[in-house]
Amino acid sequence: MERKQLAPGVHLSYDPAQKLNRCRISIHFTFPARRETATAHALLPLVMERGYAGCPDMTGLTKKLARLYGADLAVDGRPMGASRNLCVSVTGIKDRFALAGESLSQAYTELVLGVAFHPCMADGAFDAEAVAIEKQMLRQSLEDELNDKRLYCMRQTAREFYGDSPMGIRQEGYLEEVDGLTGQDLAAAYEEMLSTASIELMVLGCTPAETQRVEAAFMEELGKIRRRPVGPMAFLAMPRQIPVHKVETFDMVQAKLCLAFTLGKPMDLAELAAFRLAMALYGGSVTSRLFLNVRERDHLCYYCASSFQSFTGSMVVSSGIEPGDAARAENAILNELADLCTGPITSQELEDCRRGLMDGLAGIEDSLGSIESWYAMEMIRGGAITTPQQARADLAAVTVDQVRSVLRRFSLSVSYLLTTKEGAYV
Amino acid sequence: MSDHLRAILDCAGNERYVLPSGLTVLVRPMPGYSAAHAIVAARFGSIDLHFRLGEEELTLPAGVAHYLEHKMFEDQEGDAFAKFARTGANANAFTSFDRTCYYFTATNAVEESLDVLLEMVTHPYFTEETVAKEQGIIAQEIKMYQDSPDWRLITELCQCLYHTHPIRSDIAGTCESIAKITPEMLYDCCKAFYAPSNLVLAAAGNITARQVLDACARAGLDKPVTSPAARRLWVEEPMTLVQTWKTLPMAVSKPCFGIGYKEEPLAPGDGRTEMLYELVLCCISGGMSPLYRRLYDEGLVNPGFGGEVLRVDGCCCILFTGESDTPDQVEQLLLDEIERVRAQGVDREVFTLCKNEKYGQLVENLENVEDAASQMADFALMGQTVAQQIEMLAGLTAEDADVALQKILQPGRMARVRILPDGSAAGDSADND
Repeated sequence: MERKQLAPGVHLSYDPAQKLNRCRISIHFTFPARRETATAHALLPLVMERGYAGCPDMTGLTKKLARLYGADLAVDGRPMGASRNLCVSVTGIKDRFALAGESLSQAYTELVLGVAFHPCMADGAFDAEAVAIEKQMLRQSLEDELNDKRLYCMRQTAREFYGDSPMGIRQEGYLEEVDGLTGQDLAAAYEEMLSTASIELMVLGCTPAETQRVEAAFMEELGKIRRRPVGPMAFLAMPRQIPVHKVETFDMVQAKLCLAFTLGKPMDLAELAAFRLAMALYGGSVTSRLFLNVRERDHLCYYCASSFQSFTGSMVVSSGIEPGDAARAENAILNELADLCTGPITSQELEDCRRGLMDGLAGIEDSLGSIESWYAMEMIRGGAITTPQQARADLAAVTVDQVRSVLRRFSLSVSYLLTTKEGAYV
Repeated sequence: MSDHLRAILDCAGNERYVLPSGLTVLVRPMPGYSAAHAIVAARFGSIDLHFRLGEEELTLPAGVAHYLEHKMFEDQEGDAFAKFARTGANANAFTSFDRTCYYFTATNAVEESLDVLLEMVTHPYFTEETVAKEQGIIAQEIKMYQDSPDWRLITELCQCLYHTHPIRSDIAGTCESIAKITPEMLYDCCKAFYAPSNLVLAAAGNITARQVLDACARAGLDKPVTSPAARRLWVEEPMTLVQTWKTLPMAVSKPCFGIGYKEEPLAPGDGRTEMLYELVLCCISGGMSPLYRRLYDEGLVNPGFGGEVLRVDGCCCILFTGESDTPDQVEQLLLDEIERVRAQGVDREVFTLCKNEKYGQLVENLENVEDAASQMADFALMGQTVAQQIEMLAGLTAEDADVALQKILQPGRMARVRILPDGSAAGDSADND
């Protein structure tokens, strides 16, 4: 992957990825999250994805993509701690597979730039009909979040954990604000994003000549924008607190238990490799303590996994359990963490986890999705870009003491349980 | 041959062997890739509950194939996950209605991982104790799916449509059915369905045919194997329905609906008709259809609405599922649209574009090592190749779709299922700081 600066706060990353059958052009906008515009930014991807000035009709756009052999157009929003990332991307098969010899990469370029820079707007507002329809969709998705109990439990945990912190600004938006949103609100949020965001153009799987054409077309669009880029947001972390236990009861079969932990202070990126290994050892792999002991040995959970977020210095353990086992499961999850902090860690279990991570890192260049995920995250985190190869070297150098040191810093903040009335244990 | 066809066939090429043991081996080396993916697929899924093994006729409890999948990871020395951990491979398995697949992805020690994979599928080890200890974890898995409205819609629709076909049973079975599983049953299943002639081994990526064949030799799969012939037994399934309407309450915030059509079963290996049905569904309810656009714009469904073909031996049905505040209205609009398209024919432009999308999907599935190996195994189980799929796709016409529509999606073979909010979704909450 090569990377160069195109303008202040704007970079191009490119990798010809010749062995792959498809190419992908994406534009990442990363900007500070603001509570006032959270719901507008939740709605923005939905409205942008349904059409742009060059092809305003949703069905027309779907047909256009089908003509490009089912190319995938996506506009995705995701939280990055106190920042937001909005990514416009087009992924499709390479020119050599086109049945009529057409230039697909040219069409992908027009599409991605059209959606990113020429949405359906008039007189300073997004198209009213599109906004009204997508407001319905956003409202429905917020009303329906309970249908997926696992996701609902994780969201409720995050809401309790982050409270009013900038990290807690809801990426999915706020139900009570949806009805009041207007096309003007959306346009203001979009214009602010264009002018303030750090922008990363990623061109994967294209030839050098195609990449140059994408870059030139992109620069032409960028030249029309008055930019005042804001630097990346610093890593944050929630302060430590006395653990809070929350319980919601429903008529459900499997209960969900989610635990949120904080480091108490922002993480240091230099320790990322140690965090990766610590997660694999605690609950992020099939050789982890949570998988082997809580799931396989004690049969307390069907799934029980930990994940770490560098932007927020937090760790979440999510599990599906018998309603009557909630207290036992929580104790077991906490005991496994305590055992790793104070008890023995065998060389074999540590090396099993390290080997699994190293193996996965070695395969990152084998798919468009993993190349993009890896490098986009590296760029959004800020600092020097670490290649998967460098990350392997960093991982190889992590010691058991470093792993233990990382795990010792986590303290429980929130325990959130969804269960039956009979399973509540508070 | 055109350049584009040559390009895709270059990507899709593979070496194919049938070993003296009966094992089918497919290998696609992919230059430039770091990882290899290998998959063993057994023609044994949740629908295989009744069969003859030699002279003996066996009937098994629902969920046995899935239970077996979990237990195949264990041997006398421990479990295969631990062995994969030594090689660094990322391994897993899944069970569907008609197959069970075991697989790994690895960038190092590929030969050692192949040995672990082949050892686990050819040397089962079960005891009363090890079989019993799995019940808790599988019961948890069953319960997790019981809370999923999407999955419940599919299983309830199958129970409305089918009297006897084992598609009626959940893939994982029930907590009661899995309690009846014994080590002897699992050994019988292995004898019947894990014979090498019933398995396909497919590998793609940074791997060679020599590596795969050597691993097969180390596992003894290069020699003839005598195994008792297993024959699936079916009770004849009439084309009538069990019931046409069913509702059930769940902790959901909005009604979920399903409409299922019972179709004539397709002949084994008939991928053409299945592909044609999928194109018909794309024309009726896909993203380019006027129906989808109306339902979406009026907020009657969310983007999860759609139709699918569910096809296994002895069973073929078409299922539409979605969420809606007004399921009656959505159902009526869908039924009206089916009749309109049946009368007027499918939209020619949309039909061609649906074919375009399918072609792109075939190319995409050749790109990464996981999809490439899985696609080879899937096609081998169906007795097809990528080249045949492309040829088949190219040969399908809108007129074929019109003819098919005169037979399928008939109102007399339709069942409906509703999942209604049970009122608990508002939730009670408590906290204890």
